[in-house]
Amino acid sequence: MSPYDLLPRFKAQYDANNQEFSISGVVRPQAIDELGPSIALLRDAIGRVRGVLYVNVRRLTQMNNAAFHTFSRIIIDACRARPELKFVVITSSVVGWTSRKFGRLSGIEPNITVEEYDTEFYPGQGFLEEGGFVPILRTQTKMTWRHERAILPRHGMRPGIVMADICCGIGDFAVLVQKEFQPSRIVALDHSMTSLDYARRVMREFDIRGIEYTYGDASEMLLDETQFDLVTCRHSLQIFNRPELILRELYRICKPGGRVYITNEKNSHCLGEPRAESIRWTYDEVAKLFKHFEMDVELGPKSRRYLVEAGFEDIRVETFMVTNLDGDPQDFADVIAAWADVYAGEMATRRGDGPEFVARFRQGFEDHIFAALHPKGYAGWPIWVASGRRPQ
Amino acid sequence: MGAVHHDLAGGGPTFEPMIQIDMEIKAFVSAWRHCDYVSTYMARMISQNRSDSVRHSNLFSSAFNELLEVAFRTRHADGELACRVSRHGATDRIELTFPCVPEERQFYEEAVSQLAGIEARERYLNSVSGDLAPSRELVLLELAVDYNATLWIEDADGDAIKLVVDLPLEGLQN
Repeated sequence: MSPYDLLPRFKAQYDANNQEFSISGVVRPQAIDELGPSIALLRDAIGRVRGVLYVNVRRLTQMNNAAFHTFSRIIIDACRARPELKFVVITSSVVGWTSRKFGRLSGIEPNITVEEYDTEFYPGQGFLEEGGFVPILRTQTKMTWRHERAILPRHGMRPGIVMADICCGIGDFAVLVQKEFQPSRIVALDHSMTSLDYARRVMREFDIRGIEYTYGDASEMLLDETQFDLVTCRHSLQIFNRPELILRELYRICKPGGRVYITNEKNSHCLGEPRAESIRWTYDEVAKLFKHFEMDVELGPKSRRYLVEAGFEDIRVETFMVTNLDGDPQDFADVIAAWADVYAGEMATRRGDGPEFVARFRQGFEDHIFAALHPKGYAGWPIWVASGRRPQ
Repeated sequence: MGAVHHDLAGGGPTFEPMIQIDMEIKAFVSAWRHCDYVSTYMARMISQNRSDSVRHSNLFSSAFNELLEVAFRTRHADGELACRVSRHGATDRIELTFPCVPEERQFYEEAVSQLAGIEARERYLNSVSGDLAPSRELVLLELAVDYNATLWIEDADGDAIKLVVDLPLEGLQN
């Protein structure tokens, strides 16, 4: 028997609290008998629930027609036998065939609806990843890169490695790494199509090779396990409502002995002189605003705890401060202006903030810009860098 | 989707060969997992230089595995299975040659000839909701309807059939 035969290829579970039946992995049986326990579990779940049964297939990597037909048949039959029962099938936009294939079921039975999971999962990120934020992301990376290019070798970066950049955004960090450190391969993943389109366009126009951009959900990646020497995930754990899920995936795809490298902020520690008080007040409010949308932009100093709890060892943590003295102060000012537009604009509006609050909130950003451009001023944006080694 | 006729003499676009795997059909049908092995391996190999290699590989493996499962169920016990993938632009072409008995050949010819037109979608939905276990026809219908594939049959030596499938996965949206 080969090791292949011993691997569990798929898993079915039922969560009674959420009335959710989930099936994940590769389901390619030769005979329906192989699905016996999973079928029994689904039938049992249908028998127990009232109202809605969620059928979660978002981690279903593959399913052949024999298995699809079997599970579909059970659901369709249940719809006909119990017209009061509704089914919600949750697919993933990352696994391209699932929405299309399971989507057919809603055309057959009106009691079956099919929802794509990813767009609902990250409630706040839409503010940050679509639309006109691209130039600011580029400027941010340019400013942090001045520090990170010196820091990265202390966290496992070296020529020839195989690395993944998860939540790569517009791909500018991957491009800088490719030029500076020449890893043998970079897989860069993000779940914003807009950002990936931009990244691919840059790659084509500048004839950059060695980077593979892929659409994916960082909490449930299609990437195989234990294949990367270094996995980077920058400024992203802080904008997921459950960062431990992402870390679990980063751990999974990292080779034993390889490292996972994360960067995060503590926004309330942004600072400036003059007008320090106003600036401090506004960035305290930034942290509260993000918390409202289930994002923790105070995560930076918590990185060590997260890495320990995810099972990493040899954890290294350091900080650096991006300031108005790094390169052109106008770059710093432009970044703050873009933050003000989003935070005191769409996000504050969405939270329902009144005009008086928004005016004071915005003033702190303007004071930060004032400090950055003042001939004797100083403005800072602190970043926490942390990495951990996956045990051998 | 699902155009049936292919003009061999028409001098269509040139497809560049990418990978080919040949196996004795006896060896292939000795283990069901060969379908998964071969589809996963070939999908990974040919997807490396697609714009999204991981997603392309997942989609290609999904489609190709179904074809291999069709070939696995052949009633002909001798001969060779040949899987060849070639590429032209956004389209990957699978050529699957496998031995089959005359009745099976006739079935495939009829099934492929009925893949065109809007009624294919209707027949596909009926197949999904039907009581019977999924047939080989359903597999072909799904490729045409869900993957925008174009399928046809070409001559092969001896008791074999060559199923040709053009898969435009690169431009396929969710």
